[in-house]
Amino acid sequence: MKKIIILGIETSCDETAASVVERRGNKIKILSSVVASQIKWHKKTDGVVPEVAARLHVSAIIPTIDKALKQAKIKPEKLTALAVTTRPGLVPALAVGIETAKTLALAWQKPLAGLSHLQGHIASAALTLGDLKNKKLAWPILALVVSGGHTELRLLSSWKKYRLLGSTRDDAVGEAFDKVAKMLGLGYPGGPIVSALATKGQADAFNFPRPMMKENNFDFSYSGLKTAVLYKWQELTIKRIPNSIRQLTDQIPNSTISNICASFQAAALEVLVYKTMRAAEKYKVKNIILAGGVAANKKLRADLTQVANKGGFNLTIPDFSLCTDNAAMIAGYGAIIYPESFSRNNWKKLDASSRDDTEL
Amino acid sequence: MNVEFINPHQTSPFSRGRIKEGVFLKNEQAMKKFAANFAKKLKGGEILALVGELGAGKTTFTQGLAIGLKIKGKITSPTFVIMNEYPVAPRKRAGNYKLKILNFKLLHLDAYRLKDEKDLSALGVAELLNDPNNIVVIEWADKIKKFLKKYHVIWLEFKIKGAGRGVVIK
Repeated sequence: MKKIIILGIETSCDETAASVVERRGNKIKILSSVVASQIKWHKKTDGVVPEVAARLHVSAIIPTIDKALKQAKIKPEKLTALAVTTRPGLVPALAVGIETAKTLALAWQKPLAGLSHLQGHIASAALTLGDLKNKKLAWPILALVVSGGHTELRLLSSWKKYRLLGSTRDDAVGEAFDKVAKMLGLGYPGGPIVSALATKGQADAFNFPRPMMKENNFDFSYSGLKTAVLYKWQELTIKRIPNSIRQLTDQIPNSTISNICASFQAAALEVLVYKTMRAAEKYKVKNIILAGGVAANKKLRADLTQVANKGGFNLTIPDFSLCTDNAAMIAGYGAIIYPESFSRNNWKKLDASSRDDTEL
Repeated sequence: MNVEFINPHQTSPFSRGRIKEGVFLKNEQAMKKFAANFAKKLKGGEILALVGELGAGKTTFTQGLAIGLKIKGKITSPTFVIMNEYPVAPRKRAGNYKLKILNFKLLHLDAYRLKDEKDLSALGVAELLNDPNNIVVIEWADKIKKFLKKYHVIWLEFKIKGAGRGVVIK
């Protein structure tokens, strides 16, 4: 059976990433996955200044692609095609990846596809399973995509076609974790810190609101929960010393901070789990995928797994390494749908967009 | 939509010198109405710099602005993606004797995750602020103060006042 080898490029926000994925029939595997910020760059040999590399896509992209090809031991002429993230994301950042991909596609005479970052996150479930014929990937699939920038429920009828059932109306769930961490003076990135402290706290210590839980739709809202935590924190701190809140972190017992983290996390995750299950029941879906950066949250993984198992649903969660932004999910998504969406001529029109308007 | 300007001297307990030339918005709806009204005065090319702590109402203000600009769809926080773009429905503006159809974008930026102005140019965002066709809203704008010195900027400061919020325009 013929091998399909795709080079994926992802620059939708902070990360510059490149990856090579191979597909043979229904079997799919990652040959390399390189994320610029995670590499120890050698200034001389790679020509990258490490401090700026993480955010300066322009200087990081070529060495990152080079590394991905070398690690995969794939020469450009062996590639079947290229795939690049075109949406949603930061437009100038996306443009770097897109223009690079166009240039390489022209130079190497390969087809190119412009793909959705969020559909890529969902496709990373297939990379984890390794087999496209796995029964957990039978259509329709309900996908909960949760990250610092997104909170969405998508009902997929194929890898490319989906219906947006609901999304956040303000802040994304991952953002709420980060901002609560900031309020409590815990540092960045806040997600892992808050969830680590939450394991030591009591989830019922504070009764934070479960926003949009009772509403008959699949939208989310995390701005109000953030503000509720802020009010509680002010109430606790201002009672002690009326001046500044920042200095007070030491004054509040660690157990209280852990309790806030646990209570906040419980509120934030309960809505996700509840609405996902309700959507699965309403749309009679058997298979569920949890994807995106917040899919690395252990409590969310555990809670959703428990509820899904109880209800007889198949849940797939990507490996931890595939949850955060990476290019393997784009290369993988490309390999899955190839030759659909790929073109030798049409790609000149590819353009960056801050929104994902692929819904079909 | 018929929106009235909120008179701070009638509705605010903070009007007696505590917020100078500011308004007090008693809740989220009041903030959105205030912003929607504010939007109607915008012509394109403005930069609105929003300052205020977490939960002070910056994103809510922008959501109201979008209502005023008749933008459809959800205005979500740009903290992670740094910038979101929304096309503004074309609207007519009198210019000479012909009516010009303006077609511009609302750029919703967030400097929260930026270290300083250097990050802004590294991300390629700086150039977008020069376009007179865009209305630019920047949350956590105090983080890129130096950069904004080059531009004519309307500063809006947000303060938490109990369940309400205060806004001071400079």
